[in-house]
Amino acid sequence: MATQRVLPQSKETLLQNYNKRLKDDIRSILDNFTEIIKTAKIEDETQVSRATQAEQDHYEMHVRAANIVRAGESLMKLVSDLKQFLILNDFPSVNDAISLQNQQLRSLQEECDKKLTSLRDEIAIDLYELEEEYYSSSYSQWDSTDLPLCEAYRRRDSWASPGSSCSSTQGDREDVEGPPSQEANPQHHVNGHGTSSIEKP
Amino acid sequence: MANERLRALEDVEKEIAMVLQCAGTIVLELSKDKHNASLLERQLVQFQTSVNRVESELSSQIRYLTQVATGQPHEGSTYSARKDCQMALNRAEYAKVKLGELGRTCELMLEQQQPQPQT
Repeated sequence: MATQRVLPQSKETLLQNYNKRLKDDIRSILDNFTEIIKTAKIEDETQVSRATQAEQDHYEMHVRAANIVRAGESLMKLVSDLKQFLILNDFPSVNDAISLQNQQLRSLQEECDKKLTSLRDEIAIDLYELEEEYYSSSYSQWDSTDLPLCEAYRRRDSWASPGSSCSSTQGDREDVEGPPSQEANPQHHVNGHGTSSIEKP
Repeated sequence: MANERLRALEDVEKEIAMVLQCAGTIVLELSKDKHNASLLERQLVQFQTSVNRVESELSSQIRYLTQVATGQPHEGSTYSARKDCQMALNRAEYAKVKLGELGRTCELMLEQQQPQPQT
């Protein structure tokens, strides 16, 4: 047997009201329809004249038909209220809808980022080749402070080999003049300047 | 799950319309001099079936709401996921714009390098 939920008074009252409205409207439809069918029966003996009785039956049928239509409209309003109540208070379905939407949005975001990452990798490869071509041509105007990507990769490869003579890993701001400037790097560190930039002699 | 319940309520609305239509058809048939008994029988069965279906379906929906309603407002939202997705789409759009500019620059350079035809 299901345990009784303790609902706030307003919600419980509202649901009881819905139940009452449902019962009343269904009862109204059935009763009025039954009375219309009963009134349709022609009786031989009447207390008033036939014309009066016919007029009375006619009016009664009108009223009962209007009651049936009113009860039908009241049921429609009840269905509308139930839909609204369901949308606002049916937490299991709201949670499912939220989690489904979150899942779809996250998958779209991950797909977008994955494609951007692969695009970045492809463009980095092309950029390497383009820079190599550009900086080895006569049109290049680069200075020592701006190390191109291909040069950076080349230097990193040369440092990684055991026969290299480099001693520092300053990286982007190194001078390209050769050993004398490289030997100056430890002096900068020894003197305690601690700067990453190297002054040209 | 929510869509199924809402669809069930929409079917209930159609059933209510069916109830009124059957009642009207029956009364219309009774107003004639000669009644079609089979039509009356069919419409009456349809009327009773629809009324019972409406009552049972609405009762079950109210019973379900009595079980799941808490009286508290729901505080969940999809805002964060939606914002992250929007940012990802903005990143993609920005990358597209930049690549477009790069492509146009390359085309411009190639057009400039092509020798001009002499007239």
